[in-house]
Amino acid sequence: MAEEGWEPKIVAFCCNWCSYGGADTAGMGRFQQPASTRVIRVMCSGRIDPLHVFNAFLEGADAVLVTGCHIGDCHYVNGNEKTEVKYKFLEEMLQQLGLEPDRLHLNWISASEGERFANFINDVTAKVKELGPSPLKPAGVK
Amino acid sequence: MVNVGDMLVGYATNEDVRKRGASGGLVTAVLAAALEKGLVENVVVMKHINEFEAVPIITDDVDEVLASTGSLHSVPVNLAKYAMGRKVAMPAKPCDAQAVIEQAKRGMIDLDNTYVVGLNCGGSMHPVTTKKMLVEMYDIDPEDVVGEEIEKGKLIFKTKNGEEMAIAIDELEEAGFGRRESCRYCTLKIPVNADLACGNWGVIGDKAGSATFCQVMNDKGVKLLDNAIEAGRIEVEPASDKAIAIRAKVNDVMVNLGNTLEKEIFPEIPDEERMQYYMEPMADCIDCGACKEVCPVCACGEDSKCTMFHSLVDNYKMSMYHMVRLLHLSDSCIACGQCSDVCPSDIPITLLQSSFAIPSQRKREYTPGMNVDDVPPFFEVILK
Repeated sequence: MAEEGWEPKIVAFCCNWCSYGGADTAGMGRFQQPASTRVIRVMCSGRIDPLHVFNAFLEGADAVLVTGCHIGDCHYVNGNEKTEVKYKFLEEMLQQLGLEPDRLHLNWISASEGERFANFINDVTAKVKELGPSPLKPAGVK
Repeated sequence: MVNVGDMLVGYATNEDVRKRGASGGLVTAVLAAALEKGLVENVVVMKHINEFEAVPIITDDVDEVLASTGSLHSVPVNLAKYAMGRKVAMPAKPCDAQAVIEQAKRGMIDLDNTYVVGLNCGGSMHPVTTKKMLVEMYDIDPEDVVGEEIEKGKLIFKTKNGEEMAIAIDELEEAGFGRRESCRYCTLKIPVNADLACGNWGVIGDKAGSATFCQVMNDKGVKLLDNAIEAGRIEVEPASDKAIAIRAKVNDVMVNLGNTLEKEIFPEIPDEERMQYYMEPMADCIDCGACKEVCPVCACGEDSKCTMFHSLVDNYKMSMYHMVRLLHLSDSCIACGQCSDVCPSDIPITLLQSSFAIPSQRKREYTPGMNVDDVPPFFEVILK
């Protein structure tokens, strides 16, 4: 269990065309969400290599979110379908490695779904708070 | 003329090759004929140094090919990478053939230029373990060994002064010796993915020990055999039904054993202990990169994702290098065991890698290295 007052660090990869817009909409619509996420904007969710996810975990992220446009809505025709293929391997591998499934999420969020984005962040933060710090977190990183 | 799918029994016409070969010298003769008749420019063979050491060589000398005849069980080398960029014929264990096909899928080997003569394989042994086993179990000085053989589940060593000593492989494996770990749970014993599938299983009667059973798998196999028959290097005849049945039976026994051992070798790990289970051995890593260097299915080249983005100082724990490799090989690992063999820190990498790769491959009903037309699951989305 985590110590009192501990806030998880969550890295959210957001695609420029949908989920980053979604995060924006969440702010404009004033949907409350915890300040636990660090958003990294990428041009397409297909850009997110498993390498980036590993690096986030090894640098001390407690959870990583991979978000992008809904299937069929990709700005680059099928970038998010490629994300899905990679994600399935990534998910299996991290589970086999012993990382709790709640630490890695894939979600499709469009630019208008501000509330969905805020709820998603709320849910994940609550779950990760229960789990405590990630076992891959390097020593000395809070 | 032979046809695809033929089951044949054959042997080398050259008496010397036939006698020295493990089972009739057919494979040696086929390779020599391919070189002689210009079917290929080079042949990859293992140059015999002693019973525990052999080096792969790429040769265009027929005599060198003929000299390489005879099998070695304690020199596990995967030959796939030697076939790159050449017009070659090569002998291959099932895992060599798998690696050749995986490399072909990744555009590194041109299958039209590569002739693969598969050999049945019940498993190979690590030379260091074998030497230790000779001293501890057989009470023989490794220097005195002149030959070895596997017969009816027993491992037989012949010494200089003509003695033969046999111990059951099960017994050896219980004592921690015997075959390499990845060979124990391997279930591809007959190289049906090669061009020819050769071996001594199913050679019965007066031919036992002096002929090779050979199954023709594809057109390249037909070419190889026709070429060798034309050159007068081999003689073949159709195998009897009994021989075919015996070969299938031996294979079934070996595959069942592999399946049973797999359950014993892979431990059930509770979810909360997994991270510890994987991180502990990985912490011994010294970042020498040997496991990537020898990996026969790795086609990334020298600078790749696993090596470029990780820091040496991360090696005391799970590092980026291992995480990338565990993921990257989960659809292509053939469990050839080379990474474990070369690891200077004795990390059981093959075992760790397999516990990621096997479930992932089974889930997708995909076996790497069987058919060049099977698309690796990682390449599932291709731009139309």
